[in-house]
Amino acid sequence: MTAYPVLTATTFLPLVGAVLLLSFGSERLARWIALTTTVATLAVSTPLYWNFDKSSNALQFVESAAWIPSLNISYSMGVDGISLPFILLASILSILCVGASWTAIQTRVPEFYAALLVVETAMIGVFAATNLLLFFVFWELMLVPMFLLIGIWGGPGRVFASVKFLIFTLSGSVLMLVGIIAIYRACDTLDFQGLALGKASLPPAQQVWLFAGFLAAFAVKVPMFPLHTWLPNAHTEAPTAGSVILAGILLKMGAYGFLRVSIPILPYGVQFFLMPMLVVSAVAIIYGAYVTLVQTDVKRLIAFSSVSHMGFVTLGIFTLTRSGVEGAVLQMINHGIVSAALFLCVGMIYERTHTREIKDYGGVARMAPVYSTLLALFCLAAAGTPGLNSFVGEFLIIGGAFQRHVWLGAAAVWGVALGTTYMIWLYYRVVMGKVNPTLWGLRLELNAREVATLAPLALLVLYLGVYPESVLSYLRTPLDRLLAGFTP
Amino acid sequence: MSDLVLIIPELVLAGTALALILSARRIQRTPVAAIGTVLAAIAAAVISGLLLSRGSKIGFGGMIALDGYSQFFKVLIGATLAVVALLSVNSFGEERAMRVEYHILLLLASTGMMLAVSAHDLLPLYLSLELMTLCSQILVGIRVESPASNEAGVKYFLLGSFASALLIYGISLTYGITGTTDFAGIASAVSQHSAANNLLLVIAIGLVAAGLAFKIAAVPLHTWAPDAYQGASTPIAAFLASGSKAVGLAVFGRVCLAAYGSQAHTLSVILETLAGLSIVVGSIVALSQTDMKRLLAYSSIAHAGYALLGLIGGAPAGASATMTYAFFYTFMTLGAFGVVAALGKRGEQLEGYRGLAAQRPGTAMLMLLFLVSLTGIPPTAGFTAKFGVILSVVRAGHIPLAVLAVACSVVSAFFYMRVVVLMYMNGPEEPEPSGLPAPVFAGLAVAALVTVIGGIAPGSLAPWAVSP
Repeated sequence: MTAYPVLTATTFLPLVGAVLLLSFGSERLARWIALTTTVATLAVSTPLYWNFDKSSNALQFVESAAWIPSLNISYSMGVDGISLPFILLASILSILCVGASWTAIQTRVPEFYAALLVVETAMIGVFAATNLLLFFVFWELMLVPMFLLIGIWGGPGRVFASVKFLIFTLSGSVLMLVGIIAIYRACDTLDFQGLALGKASLPPAQQVWLFAGFLAAFAVKVPMFPLHTWLPNAHTEAPTAGSVILAGILLKMGAYGFLRVSIPILPYGVQFFLMPMLVVSAVAIIYGAYVTLVQTDVKRLIAFSSVSHMGFVTLGIFTLTRSGVEGAVLQMINHGIVSAALFLCVGMIYERTHTREIKDYGGVARMAPVYSTLLALFCLAAAGTPGLNSFVGEFLIIGGAFQRHVWLGAAAVWGVALGTTYMIWLYYRVVMGKVNPTLWGLRLELNAREVATLAPLALLVLYLGVYPESVLSYLRTPLDRLLAGFTP
Repeated sequence: MSDLVLIIPELVLAGTALALILSARRIQRTPVAAIGTVLAAIAAAVISGLLLSRGSKIGFGGMIALDGYSQFFKVLIGATLAVVALLSVNSFGEERAMRVEYHILLLLASTGMMLAVSAHDLLPLYLSLELMTLCSQILVGIRVESPASNEAGVKYFLLGSFASALLIYGISLTYGITGTTDFAGIASAVSQHSAANNLLLVIAIGLVAAGLAFKIAAVPLHTWAPDAYQGASTPIAAFLASGSKAVGLAVFGRVCLAAYGSQAHTLSVILETLAGLSIVVGSIVALSQTDMKRLLAYSSIAHAGYALLGLIGGAPAGASATMTYAFFYTFMTLGAFGVVAALGKRGEQLEGYRGLAAQRPGTAMLMLLFLVSLTGIPPTAGFTAKFGVILSVVRAGHIPLAVLAVACSVVSAFFYMRVVVLMYMNGPEEPEPSGLPAPVFAGLAVAALVTVIGGIAPGSLAPWAVSP
């Protein structure tokens, strides 16, 4: 199809950049090396989007090579319609992260960008891997660089936040490791496709345990209530780029894990845990939204809103209905775009004011009209306004939830209402009204680099809002296969 | 005469040691001893590697075996000795006078190690382990003017003698029951007995296991390790934590599989207890350490437990997992201790790592690599090792033990990452340490290379890791 192994090149190019940075990166050069690498990664990945066949039922761009011959585990990569959009999102967000850190990061610059690029490799790798062990390796590869990103370049509480992030994530993933090993022992393969075919060999009781093991890892990453407590710390303390990666991609890896591992390989386990998962998701939506309402720190507020929004995602997935799962995937993409944009907005203004307290803001609209317009767009998108991207996903999820149970639908609708409240109220307090005296004399308006960083996200918000089919069309075939065994 | 082929690597090491003894007075102030040790170690490792392909043989009246298992560990021991000798360059300050003796003892200890992994009879096994242990005990106490070093040496000696007594008592009971000390003979005699009707056999196995548990510092016979590591100079601590432990594991594996293999139930209970206790105690006690060498000592206790997990099922695949574990563990431990050694006095306290990344990014990154690998996070060799042993525990059907093991690896992340936090997330307070000497850098580079390759290409070792 193409002259080079696209997925491998896309995955490992950032790693090459990271090695370069650590070897020769001077402070000035580092930013340019990082920018070149991320842009080149997006460029290298383009054949994925041109040559993808939406109607095909099989994995595409498949690569396979012997990796651990003694255990019959292979290095295998491939994409389908579910993973493809995330690879695109990860490569776009990485470029924006480099842009957003251009002036914000002033210490140990080469190391910062090296960590960022390793994270990019890990993110793309997670979505491209089609072998459970490879998936796990990429999943864990993310851990240490992310820990360093938060802990070295973060805010005042960064050390606590980074250690909490590390311990939570590692606790989940080691249980997943035991699950992976147990699956390997039962099925003698770790290829996703082989496992989906061999699921008959996993007895129901074992599936329940395995589901619980994988749940530990995925629920921490998503994060699902009540395992979400690392998230506000990590998001708040992380540097802007770290928050963008966390909110934009990292949280989606958990939900992606449900779609890629739990549902195809452990259908009985899914059925067994269906009700608890739905209830926990509904609780996350409502509880997350109420907690968001009372936050006084802008970044923390957006972080908590992620708990609520990711509650929608897990709710959609576990409705196991066509519309619910479609909506969930779309919501994952949308939340990745919108929350990344909101964190970027917060980061940009923080760089000027050095405060994240809502009470220190007010009247920003008078000082920074362009910024306020863009922020309005993203806040409205986050609130689920029709015509902007999040609306479609939430609408589909709510439809799926009502099919499952009327109370779940009601909870989701209530969550949307609360979401509108906190986003609009945030916007009102920060942007409207009289100019807060603390802001006098500051130049709040965005410069060209910052506008260029936000513009692609703004365009995506509008484009996906009016034409969600551009993502949904990729999902048709894989979701048909995914949901074949389940009746709503 | 042809039997001597079996022990060429040992002869190389012992011969070098003798040559050094004879010329000690002349080369006291030169680096000849260090260079000779490194060269002899590399030669021994290479020869062992070449012998690996010669098929298995048993010589010396059935006492010494040449097989894949022994050659695998001989390569490892040779590499360990070379790296330790390289790391030692930094640690001669005032005690320059001891330089030649130091290397002679290292060579003799390694000779004992190599003999121990190829022993196919309990008596040569015991003798070679004693050679290793006695030399190590002197090495721990060799810093004569340091009271801590002397105290550590004496402690190690007294407890070591106790453990040796247990081992030899176990051996004598085994001889009483089976009438032989040869592994093959023991295996065929023991298979006639069942544990239920022969309590004496259970005691014999228990005593042998206890003696060997001391060598690998498994709980409850671990108490010497933190004191000995702390008192010894850092390269010696590295030697004990890596080489001695790998040899102990090798011997444990051979005794479990080749001699007492038919007593699967007894062995499995003993091994589960040792492994479970070591993992839990090592991980939890390490949390409160403020001395870097004590921290690494407790971490090495936990790792002894992880490595034993592979032997529980009594399956050859599990023994291969333990071999892989021993191999990768050796290099990551050598690396971590190597960084400690490279930093000198500053490296011995946890606080000494504060702000290291800002002063010495390269050294800090190496330490980060070794710590991540010790935690068992992919893509490092530590993960490959952990994956193998946990797979074998799951295969043996001990899921709760597997969950316990991975849960403790989260606990261990806490103390390993404390060092990372100090290195990366704090400003420097101490003056900048001096640069790495070339030999120390070479030693660390070897360790780092194995740690990375072992993580990326986990299959690279598998063809050689064959159980006895």
